[in-house]
Amino acid sequence: MRASAVGVGRSGCPRLLAACLASLLIYAVAFGVILDRPLMLGDLQRQIDAKLARAATIASPKLVILAGSNGAYSHRCETIEPIIGMPCVNGGVAVGIGLDYLFARWQHVLHAGDIVYLPMEEAQYVRTRAATVVGPDAAIMFRHDWRTLASLPPERWLAALFSFDLRAALMGPIEAVLIVAHFHDPRPEATGTINAWGDHIGHTAELAATSRTVLATAPSYHASAEQIRTGYGTTLIGGFSRWAATHGVRVIGGLPTEFADAPMPDATLQAIRSVYALNGDDFVALPNFSRYPRSAFFDTGEHLNETWQVVHSKLLAEQLRWHCASIAAVRPADPAGPPAPRNKPTD
Amino acid sequence: MLFNSPAFVMGFLPLAVGGFFLAGRVGGPRWALRWLVAASLFFYGWWNPKFVFLLLGSILANYGFGQQILRLARGGRPQAARRWLIAGVAANLALLGWFKYANFLVQGVLRLHTPELDIFLPLAISFFTFQQIMFLAESESGNRIDAGLLPYASLIAFFPHLIAGPIVRPREIMPQLLAVDLVVPRAQNIAEGSTIFLLGLAKKVVLADTFARFSDVGFAAAAHGASLSFIEAWYAAASYALQIYFDFSGYSDMAIGLARMLNVRFPLNFASPYKATNIADFWRRWHITLSRFLRDYLYIPLGGNRHGEARRNVNLMATMLLGGLWHGAAWNFVLWGGLHGLYLIVHGQFRWQLPAFVGRALTLLVVIVAWVPFRASGMGATIAMLRGMLGYNGIALPQMIVHAFPPLAAIATPVPLLPYLGDARTLSFPEVTACLAVGWTIVLGLPAVHELSARARGWALTSGFAFTVQALFFAPHVTPFLYFRF
Repeated sequence: MRASAVGVGRSGCPRLLAACLASLLIYAVAFGVILDRPLMLGDLQRQIDAKLARAATIASPKLVILAGSNGAYSHRCETIEPIIGMPCVNGGVAVGIGLDYLFARWQHVLHAGDIVYLPMEEAQYVRTRAATVVGPDAAIMFRHDWRTLASLPPERWLAALFSFDLRAALMGPIEAVLIVAHFHDPRPEATGTINAWGDHIGHTAELAATSRTVLATAPSYHASAEQIRTGYGTTLIGGFSRWAATHGVRVIGGLPTEFADAPMPDATLQAIRSVYALNGDDFVALPNFSRYPRSAFFDTGEHLNETWQVVHSKLLAEQLRWHCASIAAVRPADPAGPPAPRNKPTD
Repeated sequence: MLFNSPAFVMGFLPLAVGGFFLAGRVGGPRWALRWLVAASLFFYGWWNPKFVFLLLGSILANYGFGQQILRLARGGRPQAARRWLIAGVAANLALLGWFKYANFLVQGVLRLHTPELDIFLPLAISFFTFQQIMFLAESESGNRIDAGLLPYASLIAFFPHLIAGPIVRPREIMPQLLAVDLVVPRAQNIAEGSTIFLLGLAKKVVLADTFARFSDVGFAAAAHGASLSFIEAWYAAASYALQIYFDFSGYSDMAIGLARMLNVRFPLNFASPYKATNIADFWRRWHITLSRFLRDYLYIPLGGNRHGEARRNVNLMATMLLGGLWHGAAWNFVLWGGLHGLYLIVHGQFRWQLPAFVGRALTLLVVIVAWVPFRASGMGATIAMLRGMLGYNGIALPQMIVHAFPPLAAIATPVPLLPYLGDARTLSFPEVTACLAVGWTIVLGLPAVHELSARARGWALTSGFAFTVQALFFAPHVTPFLYFRF
């Protein structure tokens, strides 16, 4: 009972208040100015910036694929582009990056006539507001991109400040040291890399062998139709769809890839389809509903391996070609000004 | 209502504390206690209102038993008092047994192939049952204060300890609830209580919940039959050891802090248990009030060490097995209790005089091993985890680590990432390692909250308060306290 013997004296309350305020101040300064995560967040930021940079340099109309990592791993603009006859950018990065942030960044490079294909993962629709506002994009914005942060609702500002947890505090210095020490980043040789279109490449079936056991038993978690309908992500997608409609940008919904032996329920599929139908958008579902055997995947149910990425992209491109042609035929004038000069991507 | 929810911190707590002192100022101590009981019942009912009636019924029945026992004990009829005590304890245990153990008895012990009974375990029943058994026992001894129903209801329903302890002796708390200056707000107590509460909250939402993410991954994988490598299994087990410590000691600190704000001093419940130099020492430091209860109301009545070594060992094992079962109606908890019983017997038999460092390391090792069945979802998962910890599935390390320290290739297989470690990302290994290093440094290298000076507590608060705000208001998920389910 030594605790009872330890007093804080008459200055207890002011001291308590001072400690709390000092803590908040140190936290804000440390994460706003000093600490950074150049490997984890830096990598995401570089990917997003590179994809946006490509989108900014190619002409409209263009096809943009937006999703989480399902976009990058399971779709290949390099394959799709020649089939649809339209430049393509793969904007998929990772589930967890806030859709509001993603849409805010991409809206700057989308022009009338552009097509945005959204093979969003189920998790994107049902991701809660609470989870969205403290995703990795919150940390990126607070540290590096105040302009985008300012364009988002004020609740995002405070959440961005408080998006750093204990792990962030510990990993900031560790990542800085790893960078200085020229650490051996195993990611390219373990999972592949990103090409000029923004596609993930090099995630071959051979490299997938290390994940075979995991893939064989990986469970599939599906959202219910109700969760899809009421999800915060669904609201954000709806908002983007409305913005697109007023700016001459066409949105096409799609399905994420998944294990053929554990597909999403029909009701969930219909709910996803309805998200787009309600906003007057098109929806593309392949005859196989983007379902493949487990052997076609790389490390998760949303990442096809490279061989099947190409197969899937060809199937998808055949479907999209029809949409692109019909959309191009009725392309409105671009209210955002003339298209950017066309530029052939290179690896 | 959870202590670690914004609704509690921003709503209930200021209203409950402010209302208590206001009621005391306006209406006097009895009105303050009435407010306290009402607030505590609201706190309990927030989870499931219908169980408020169960709690109230239990309080009323036990008060009735206690009064009858006390009357008989003071009236020179100890045998009759003893009979009423046995009846009261039996009634309490029957209630606990029905809600907590009926399904386990039917399906786990008797192995009857019947559908599971539709029984919902009321929150905190294990705690308030033990609390009231203590009251009955004190009544039988005749030396408790007979203060009436209201102070008794305040003691049992007192929200700081209602859900998960500490399990306090009525004779420790009742005089405080009856003190004339109970309802006088004291800045020192409020500041000190708030500080302890906030440090406990930080332990829970910043530390325990961080380690929960690491241990959950490993134990979930084991439950799915995955083969965890050596590092993955040990990291999950070590994370759980930290999670449960920070979770429960954080809760206890919060309870102590809340009570202090209301001018009530609770006994200590944790005293740096992982610094214990032997297993008996561990049990003097871990969940102290439960250990005390089991010793006073189970081990000693069974005979304690008064009937020779063999009987002592039987009593120890019985106490620990029942202690394990108290935590949950499952064989896992029985195994956990049995392991600790075995450790205590071995310790009692040999009483090795080990250097403190060795004793500490050995104690920590066996305690962590015993946490495996406690946390695992079943025997299969326990075996899967222990196989990994014994190295049956090999040692794997991330390529980046082996690349940086090539000699490690001699003992470990380099892999791109460890699938059951943290978020299974490339940087998960350094991330989990750093977090574990911080956690174990706090646990083994720093004094406990109750040992800190006011200045040191201020520094601790400066380190953790912002992260607490982050976790409390912005973390997407609220993780309940582990001991809520017990």
